[in-house]
Formats: sequence, C-alpha cells, structure tokens
Amino acid sequence: MGFDRELLKGSIALLILKLLSERDMYGYEIIQESLRRSHDAFEFKEGTLYPALHQLHKRGYLRTEWRTGGNGKQRKYYGLTPAGRKAARRSEQEWFSFTGVVNAILSKAHS
Amino acid sequence: MTHLDDIVTRVILRAKLPGRKRGREVAEELRAHLDDLVEEMRSQGYDDEAAARMARMRFGEPQEIAAAFASVYAPERWARRIVQATLLCAASTMVVVVVVGTVQSIAAICAAQPILSTLREIYQEGFGFGAITAGYCSLYAGERLFPTSLAKAALPSVVLGLCLAAVFACAIPQHAALPLVAFACAASGRLLQRLEMPFLWLAGTALPLLIAWVLFGPLIPCWEFPWLVWLGLTISCKALREIVRLFERVLLADLA
Repeated sequence: MGFDRELLKGSIALLILKLLSERDMYGYEIIQESLRRSHDAFEFKEGTLYPALHQLHKRGYLRTEWRTGGNGKQRKYYGLTPAGRKAARRSEQEWFSFTGVVNAILSKAHS
Repeated sequence: MTHLDDIVTRVILRAKLPGRKRGREVAEELRAHLDDLVEEMRSQGYDDEAAARMARMRFGEPQEIAAAFASVYAPERWARRIVQATLLCAASTMVVVVVVGTVQSIAAICAAQPILSTLREIYQEGFGFGAITAGYCSLYAGERLFPTSLAKAALPSVVLGLCLAAVFACAIPQHAALPLVAFACAASGRLLQRLEMPFLWLAGTALPLLIAWVLFGPLIPCWEFPWLVWLGLTISCKALREIVRLFERVLLADLA
C-alpha cells in the first residue's frame, strides 16, 4: 500500500525507534520486520531507511556495531542508546496523543 | 566490479560523505543490504542474474539514496569545507610571507642593506600578503565551485577584489594600489597556471604589473624595484600552486 510521503515523514523516526526498542537490528532486518508487522502494507524504502538511521545515530539516539551473522556475513546492527529510549517513549506518547486528536476530529466529522 | 558494487559506488560518489572511513562504512552497509536482497530473491527461485536484477530494482535509484545521505551529512560537509578553507588560507599566507621575506632579504643583501631592518618592515606589508593569498585562493575557490565555466569561476575573485578595493581605500588610502595590484597579479597568475603551457604563467603576474605601471606608476612605493615585486609575486604563485596541490592530495582526498 502506498502512503503519502509527507504523512510518512514525521513517523519514520518513531517507527525505527520503536522497532529498535525491542532488539538490535540491521537495515534489511528492519525492513523485513516492518513488512511482517504491517502484513506487507508498509515497506521502508532503502533511500528513506538508511539516511534516517544515520540521522538518528548522529543525534545520539542510536549506537552501531558490526557483527558477524550465522552465515559469516558482516552486518551493521543498530540499537538504542539511553537517549534513544527516552526519545522512543516521548515520540510514542506524542503519536498516540496526536492520532487520538485526529481520530476525535474525524469521528466528529463523520457523525 | 560487479553491477551491485557499481550501484554502491554511485551512491557513495554522489552522497559526498565527509571522510573516507564513513564512505567505506556506508558502502559496506549498503553492499550487505544488496547481498541480503539477492539472497531473498534466490530463495524465491530466481537465478543469479534475475536475483541481482530484482535486488537492484528493489534497492531503488542510487541518485535518490545518495541525495538523502548528502542531506543528512550536509552540516558536517560544510564544517569540513570551512576548516579546510581556513587551513588552506593560513598555509598560503605563511608561504607568501616566507617567499616574499626571502626575496626581500636576498635583495637587501644584494643592495648591502641590513636584513633585519628589511625583515622588520615586512609586517607593514600585511595587506599585500593577505591580498596575494586572497587573489590566488579566491580564483581557486571559484574553480572548485564552477569547474565548467571560467567566467563564473572568476566571479568570487571579482567580488572579493571589489570588496578589498573598498576596504583598502578606507584603511590605507595612500597605499591601496600595491595590495590591489598584488591581488590582481595572484589571481591572474592562477588563471594562466590553468593553461598548463610552459612558462606562460610567468606572464600572469607580469601583466597586471605592467598595467599598474601605466595606470599608477609613482603611486606604488617600491616601484623602483619592479622586478623584485614581480619575482616575489611569481615565486609566491608557484609556491601557492604547490600548496593547493598538496591540499588536494591530503585534505580533499579525504572527501573522495
């Protein structure tokens, strides 16, 4: 399913932070996980995901580590820093408040 | 180089990431991602060639990914450029001071004048040293900003020259001509160095001096030794060229 780019822009960081709050992942794994959870409705584009990961790393929300996987391949894993955990909680709260307000307005408009 | 490596290289080249290490790390990360995509396609039954083609399609346009990376690292890139430009200007000014100081010392020895008093007077020529560096480096900066158009490349030099003319006219109205001529000589020297014709660049510094002779003549205090002025400027331009080459080899290579 295609979503409006502007609509997605504000939620990319939240999605990444939320996924990484559960476990460390590498880029490809984040894409697969978001596909699985959204039942193939949402897929991160590489051109969106990797620059966003680097931006969050620059802000100090993510730490990185190269690890060797089971097949012997080196992959760059991302995980949350303490600042990243705080940011994830804050963003999630903001998101629920925001969507609550939007839903309230939309449901009034429909009724 | 495989086709997938080529995609990664295109992203890295266009992304203009600050620092070789970061470039290598992003390249490895993207390459690993492409390998995962290929593996996924193979597991779905595609042969190697089709899997690579599908992976490339899924990966997206290298230009778009590069543009997104470039935007993330733009502040670091500009900070690096400012530091590099400052280092280049500082090194260039030092070189000019050493070259002109050496030429003047040799001239003082030849004229049987005391070297120490000659060297003490050098600090008075600060405007001149700054002007030589500014003339040369402004044209070099223009070349980097507008590599395909000489007219546009000269724009920073023209603008800076006009600004310096205004500053010198206010700060040192009696002696404004010499640093301005030095500025023009250095920019002109750099201009003719671009032509890569043997010895032609020597005329780059001579031409503005000849024009100054016609226009200002007696206004230039040390005009009694025009060859000395020319020699100092010419050797300075040659030394600045080497500094710029060193700068490109050592500092700019880090951006590649």
